[in-house]
Amino acid sequence: MLEVSGLTTKYGEISALREASLHVGAGEVVGLIGPNGAGKTTLLNTIAGLLAPSAGGVVFDGDDITGHSPEGLLRSGLALVPEHRRIFVNLTVEENLRIGGVTVPPSDRPGLLDEMGERFPILRDKWTTSAGYLSGGEAQQLAIARALMSRPRLLMMDEPSLGLAPLLVDVVFELIDTLRSQGRTLLVVEQNATKMLDLADRAYVLRSGEVVAEGTGAELRDNRDLFDTFVGN
Amino acid sequence: MFPNLRRDVIFPVCGSVILFVLFVGVGLAYQSQFSGAAERLVTFALIDAILVLGIQIYVGNTGILSFGHIGFGAIAGYAFALFAITPAEKLKRIPDAPFGLLDVNVSPWLAVVVAVAVTLVVAFVVGIGLARSGAESGAVSATVITLALLFVTHELARNWPDLTGGDRAGLSFRIGGTLDSRVPVYLALLVSIVLARLYAQSRGGRVAVAAREDDLAARAMGVNPLIQQMVALLISVVVVSVGASLRVYENGSILPRDMFFNLTLVTLVMLIVGGRRSVTGALVGVAVITTGRELARRLGQDGFEVFGIGLDGAPLDWIFRENLKSVFMGVSMLGFMIWRPSGLLDDWELDKWLHSRFGRRSEVPPESLPVIEPDDSSVLVAEGVDVAFGGFQALDDVGIRASRNEVVGVIGPNGAGKTTLLNVITGLVESSSGSVALGGVDLSSAQSFRIARSGLVRTFQNLRLFAALTVRENVEVSALVAASLRRHRPPPDVDGLIAAAGLWEHRDRRARELDYGTSRRLELARAAATAPAFLLLDEPTSGMSDSESLLMVEQVRQMAGLVGAGVVVIDHDLNFIIGICDRIYCLDCGQVIAEGTPEEIQVDPVVQAAYIGSAAGD
Amino acid sequence: MTELLQNLIDGLGRGSIYALLALGVAVIFGVMHLLNFAHGELITVSGYASFWALGAGWSWYLTVPLIVAVSVLTSLIIERVAFSRVRGADDFTLLLTSFGVHFVVSAIFLLYVSASVKTYPRPAWVTNTFAVDSLRIEVFDTVVIVVTIATLVATTLLLQRTTFGLSLRAAAADFDTARLMGVRSNSVIRGAFALSGALAGIASVFWLMRSGSTSPTAGIDPMLKGVLAALIGGLGSLRGAVLGGFTLGLAEVILRSRLPDSVASLTEGVVFLLIALLFIFRPQGLISVPHAERV
Repeated sequence: MLEVSGLTTKYGEISALREASLHVGAGEVVGLIGPNGAGKTTLLNTIAGLLAPSAGGVVFDGDDITGHSPEGLLRSGLALVPEHRRIFVNLTVEENLRIGGVTVPPSDRPGLLDEMGERFPILRDKWTTSAGYLSGGEAQQLAIARALMSRPRLLMMDEPSLGLAPLLVDVVFELIDTLRSQGRTLLVVEQNATKMLDLADRAYVLRSGEVVAEGTGAELRDNRDLFDTFVGN
Repeated sequence: MFPNLRRDVIFPVCGSVILFVLFVGVGLAYQSQFSGAAERLVTFALIDAILVLGIQIYVGNTGILSFGHIGFGAIAGYAFALFAITPAEKLKRIPDAPFGLLDVNVSPWLAVVVAVAVTLVVAFVVGIGLARSGAESGAVSATVITLALLFVTHELARNWPDLTGGDRAGLSFRIGGTLDSRVPVYLALLVSIVLARLYAQSRGGRVAVAAREDDLAARAMGVNPLIQQMVALLISVVVVSVGASLRVYENGSILPRDMFFNLTLVTLVMLIVGGRRSVTGALVGVAVITTGRELARRLGQDGFEVFGIGLDGAPLDWIFRENLKSVFMGVSMLGFMIWRPSGLLDDWELDKWLHSRFGRRSEVPPESLPVIEPDDSSVLVAEGVDVAFGGFQALDDVGIRASRNEVVGVIGPNGAGKTTLLNVITGLVESSSGSVALGGVDLSSAQSFRIARSGLVRTFQNLRLFAALTVRENVEVSALVAASLRRHRPPPDVDGLIAAAGLWEHRDRRARELDYGTSRRLELARAAATAPAFLLLDEPTSGMSDSESLLMVEQVRQMAGLVGAGVVVIDHDLNFIIGICDRIYCLDCGQVIAEGTPEEIQVDPVVQAAYIGSAAGD
Repeated sequence: MTELLQNLIDGLGRGSIYALLALGVAVIFGVMHLLNFAHGELITVSGYASFWALGAGWSWYLTVPLIVAVSVLTSLIIERVAFSRVRGADDFTLLLTSFGVHFVVSAIFLLYVSASVKTYPRPAWVTNTFAVDSLRIEVFDTVVIVVTIATLVATTLLLQRTTFGLSLRAAAADFDTARLMGVRSNSVIRGAFALSGALAGIASVFWLMRSGSTSPTAGIDPMLKGVLAALIGGLGSLRGAVLGGFTLGLAEVILRSRLPDSVASLTEGVVFLLIALLFIFRPQGLISVPHAERV
């Protein structure tokens, strides 16, 4: 479904991403792990159109989407749950969800809203609360639900467990597991490598902007030298 | 005050004289070509140049957009008029003048001095207000306050007829009505140019420019930008006051609308067209806009006949109307903001160019400097630090210790609190409890620039160089600040540091043109140039490849060694950290979870778990 | 007591117009971080349109919608021609660009019409008053306050209930993330300028009705009031802008009635002075919107 080849992104002179390549098949859950500053967020942001790559390309379902705008990509079926969630704190929970659905025909929106309310009962309870009052875990659920509103074919998530207490981290991973069992295609960047590898079909390890290892979730999980790969010994 | 006599005093003064001669020369040439009103036009252009130079001293060096300088001009202009006009004249216009001003009669020279003095007092008060409001390059609040000044002076002038003659009559002179000779104008112009250049090259001016480029980084070096902004304001007001007084004298009268929006627009357009960061630019701007306005005026009056072509009903005739010059001004301002916001000359200066071509003795990179042992053993200690953001505990009873002769690392996953800890130590974030001390001196609640002055200098995760300044200027301003603040220690040799950092070949390139690795080395060199007790580095290798990170290990060791500083470094690159540190602290979820040597940390399962996460049930 | 009530009503009447202007300024600042000093030009242009229409025999009933339409159109044209080219530029550039627009527009009128003030007939009822107890209330003030309240209600509904309003509020909070949600940046910005133009249009109607005249520099005063009111309220807050507008109106009226006669004409100056003091002591305005900087 998604084919990334030789992607290089620079911030001015900084090469945050150096010829990274990966692919995600329909229905797969693919993990992207690695130490911080490795370029994982840069990779997702480049795919999502927030950053322009200086080299390489991205193909989504056969269409070349390299350099397309985020607005356009969403309409093609590619959604991103950004790092730090970035929910709109001046809007209510419901409004956040509605904004997630602006690209969907107006007649479908009420149905989608109901669906989200059912799937995320915690949000249902806080439907009219201002999103600024949500806890970290609730905000994460809102961010995911908001992205789901656009009925994406591929959902990308950037560090969904960031900043959450261990109990909530489990909740988030359960959520990802649920999405997986619904047959969704996911590309997830995670700091919590072991938990992610338990869940993922396949995964890539990123370090200093390059892909340094790839394999199935099980392969990488059982690799004794995972820490060394992170460090680069 | 002036780091390099040739470059910072001799060349600027000579360059100013040349600029003066060129500028006046062009004016006189124009005058001889077109008689009649041309002479007055040139006189006003010279006076406008003084006003624009005054504004440039402030706006150019601090980056703060001021709409109020003509308001200062109004104050100076009225003060000048009130003191210089004869009592007989005043009796006609303002018989009820307050404060006994009716009987005052001094020579025009003294009147100028009084005008400058009065305006300086007002400027000082306004300056304090600007400082309190947090004026900083690009800040809206500063612009609003200066705009308010412009309107307040205008309203006062209009609505206090006893003092100012009000809106219709104003105040007028009978001291010839126009200047008898241009000598005072020439003198004032030359002095203004010299003053503007010398200020920009002085320590004060450089510090102001650094703060303009990056306020946070300047404070992290020990600069308090507010002081220099006040100095720049006062110097600029002196020049503007003189210009305004001359203008009033040449005009022979003063009305409220003379020193209001229109003159503000004209002077601002002149400043930005030439390039607000350059004194040469200011003069070029005055020349260009004066010529343009005059051309527009003539075109408006006479159409194509200006060029000796008589075309009636020609296609472009509809453009040529009265007041074409107003359109010209507006279009110039708009056009430049859209297509060339930095102006024609950006920050090019004649004397800097002359110096780089003719003034430089051949420069040889210095031999490597001897390694300095730290002269005291002040220890950096942070204890029991707690920081909460809302309900989120960013730091929980965190403590670290570092001495001058070691490199201490702080590692941990994203969101662990590493940068927050650094922010607490350097005064950017307040802790709710705990303390930070250097050599026994408590720094817990000090402001960031004071902490930097005590010897704790940091770099930033997002590179914060003084982009428009050259490599050498970046390092130099840092050393200048250190030299003046801590006189008992000799500051490091700037050239030596640049050479040691491998930046010698880049020394004249602007910081924004450097590639990333070089930029990071510059940031390090700049921090080292303050000769600090400790260098606090925030992710110095972020964005670097593995090989570049390895080079950084040497760089950091070398820089620290050259200036005798201890190092505390945060980074995610474990290879780098293990390669450079003597001791390492590992943070997770705001707490210190491990401490030890690189060997110990590497195999610590707690650290490993923090990095790659623990599976459910582990 | 009656004097206080009188002042209150007068102040609210003035403040209503300021609130509408301020809201227009705040809407644009919210999405573009641009302080629009050219906002007053919308009134200048509308003024000339009125002068032309009324001179051609149009009634005020027709002129009112004309004013609003002209205002919206001008706002969109200015965005297209000038502001679209400086999106994302630093504050210095943005500020000077909006000033540049202000000067170009007023210069064009200076050039092609004339520098002189053009007057036109005001509607008959503008100077009518009616009495309630010992209060003398201007019909005009009442109309202004009522229309303003209606406009604010309509704007609130627009912002809270429509998708466009939602997009605008999201973009003001986090432009990049709004784009991730599929909100098109051009649509949002143009919509903001159109909304700003409509609000200015309504304010213009009353401003022009009251002044009965226009000139190339007619826009400076309302622009200043709108910008200052938005700043008083705290840039970035729409509620603050409205609050700032009413505060400014009330402050003007109260100051005028309180200052001794000899310095009454200095009201404007005093207002500016107070605003400057406000910025010295509370630069973020009355209602502050948090603004964090990543280190």
